[in-house]
Amino acid sequence: MYKYLLCWRYLRTRYIALASVISVMLGVATMIVVNSVMAGFSDKMRDRLHGVLADLVVESASFDGFDNFEEVMARVQEAGGDDVLAMAPTMETPGILKYRVGSGSMTRPVQIIGVRAAERARTGDFAEFLFDEKGEKVEPSFQVPERLKEISPAGARLKEIEGEPEDAFKRALQEQLEIQRRQQVPDQGAIIGYALGTWHPGKGQPDVYLAHLGTKISLAFPTSGKKPEAGFDEFTVVGFFKSGMSEYDSTHVYVPLEKLQKTRLLLGPDGKGAVNQIQIKVRPGTNLDRLADRLQPALDRLHPMFFKVWTWEQKQGPLLGAVAIEQSILNILLFMIIAVAGFGILAIFSMIVVEKTRDIGVMKALGASTSGIRGIFLGYGLLLGAVGSGVGMIGGLLFVRYINEIEKILSVVIGRKVFDDSIYYFDMIPTLVEPHTLIAIVIGALFIAVLASVWPAQRAARLHPVKALRFE
Amino acid sequence: MASHIAAVGLRKSYWKGPNEVPVLRGVDLEAERGEMVAVVGASGSGKSTLLHILGLLDAPDAGTVLVDSQRIDNRPERHRDSMRNHLFGFIFQFYHLLPELTALENVMMPSLIRHGAWSYWKERRRIRHEAAELMQRVGLGHRLDHCPTELSGGEMQRTAIARALAGRPSILLADEPTGNLDAASGQGVLDLLRDLNRERELTMMLVTHDPHIAQQADRVVRLAEGRIEEWVPALL
Repeated sequence: MYKYLLCWRYLRTRYIALASVISVMLGVATMIVVNSVMAGFSDKMRDRLHGVLADLVVESASFDGFDNFEEVMARVQEAGGDDVLAMAPTMETPGILKYRVGSGSMTRPVQIIGVRAAERARTGDFAEFLFDEKGEKVEPSFQVPERLKEISPAGARLKEIEGEPEDAFKRALQEQLEIQRRQQVPDQGAIIGYALGTWHPGKGQPDVYLAHLGTKISLAFPTSGKKPEAGFDEFTVVGFFKSGMSEYDSTHVYVPLEKLQKTRLLLGPDGKGAVNQIQIKVRPGTNLDRLADRLQPALDRLHPMFFKVWTWEQKQGPLLGAVAIEQSILNILLFMIIAVAGFGILAIFSMIVVEKTRDIGVMKALGASTSGIRGIFLGYGLLLGAVGSGVGMIGGLLFVRYINEIEKILSVVIGRKVFDDSIYYFDMIPTLVEPHTLIAIVIGALFIAVLASVWPAQRAARLHPVKALRFE
Repeated sequence: MASHIAAVGLRKSYWKGPNEVPVLRGVDLEAERGEMVAVVGASGSGKSTLLHILGLLDAPDAGTVLVDSQRIDNRPERHRDSMRNHLFGFIFQFYHLLPELTALENVMMPSLIRHGAWSYWKERRRIRHEAAELMQRVGLGHRLDHCPTELSGGEMQRTAIARALAGRPSILLADEPTGNLDAASGQGVLDLLRDLNRERELTMMLVTHDPHIAQQADRVVRLAEGRIEEWVPALL
């Protein structure tokens, strides 16, 4: 019992030990805040990555894809059964985007994705990421609305002559204007990545739209001829794809599947076009890895074509892996703070053991055992760790709870935005407190505190009672 | 009458570098139950070392310590810890009260060492009551919640005496218990020890270099050159 009493009294009377409590507290709080913010970002990022990709993706080994996608989809449905809810064939190809900006032009390398918009929307969160310039949602469709057609000079003129009396001249003019209108606003729409159509000036300034709804864009891409040649096509911007993942928002251009197949020379004589991906949405709660393992053998029997079934996590493996490594390294570095606190405990405890040498002798004279003396200092270390990590945990959780309010105050104090939402596309700093991380941090801090107490405790325990009593 | 505690042929040396410094060179000493024996001797004569060996705080190089004719110095460490808690009570010249604890908690310390958390919780009222009674007995019933720093030298030594008695020992080992007190306080502490010795039939080994204090014991022995040189009848 004396061990607990003395631990408690040492905690209350040795103010120098509070220095190590504060170190542990700060370490724990920092780790909780950083882990929560990183987990929040990671969670949002996973959400968005998952939203961009369907649950499963069947990919052909050939870049030019396969034209029997209906057979492939039938096999997937057969092997997947009720677990497969929806599928969307996709053709993905690298290319170049070009559009006019004032008297100049903007050219960007892009990933051109041919999809059937409505089908693609059924296999993921595609529709959730489509916006117009005002930030309002637009339908997953490549149809160019009439109002966009009318904003071109030829379209506006067509509108003007609509009410004029019908005659041969009007019909000829209308035909001519219609041709011009099609050149100015192509009939096929495209949805381009938000970052492809905007300029981000930074410093808290709003993004500037370089491409608008109705802007004509030109796309160049490799065709599937015998020699690698460039194909070319024009589209009208009908929406912006804004997932919040700059990697996608700055590269993705969605166009109608059939149009891309035709221009890439992938349309067969029977009118069937090739695709190189099938996006699959599965029933919620389905184990994706197991389903992928089930689908793979069904598609292996479609030789000589080669297919690979990926889960969305496997497709994003390098990115998710990089984030995980980043988080691990950050945790190791942050844990050093607690390790430093551990050295503080070691130093302070060593000092306290020297200071308490005679008291240790007295306790031994009164019958305290070696393990009992060791227990006092180990218990004291544990108590310091518990108080430090307890207060740190509460502080860290409060910080996480009010992180956006704290960010606002800090922004006012330092005169610029700490968290620029235009960079991250988040309105608020995302946080996620994971109980297992919280437990691991607290246990880690307690372990360090106890570990740092072992050597001083052992020294105290091994003190010879007579030498301790005679200590000056 | 059989001795309560006895030292037989105790030898102890310390080493200063390569040189052996013998302190005890074959000490034979015994005390009967309830007897108060004063050990006198010059500084450095080995009085404290003898007391430490008798109280199992130190081990002799040779010789044995017997309590009720049973050898105790060769017991395992755990037993010796337990005997220090149950069998012996220690009083030191500089009181050695634990500064973090109140006077009452200091007195409770032997019981706190003896009891685990659960058994203490069950007996906490009795333990506290007994410690308070001891404080009352040494005349400090009004100082229970005072810290050692708030007590005078005499009061601290009385508290230390109460602590030494808290484990209900049968042997009290006192190392210069009045050495740090003025004459009046010293006499008060000595009277208290004498009374307790009679009341509780405690066997006492009292180490002092002051012949006047030694004379108040039942028997006085002198330690010189590492040996018990002469037996001096008390009250000479």
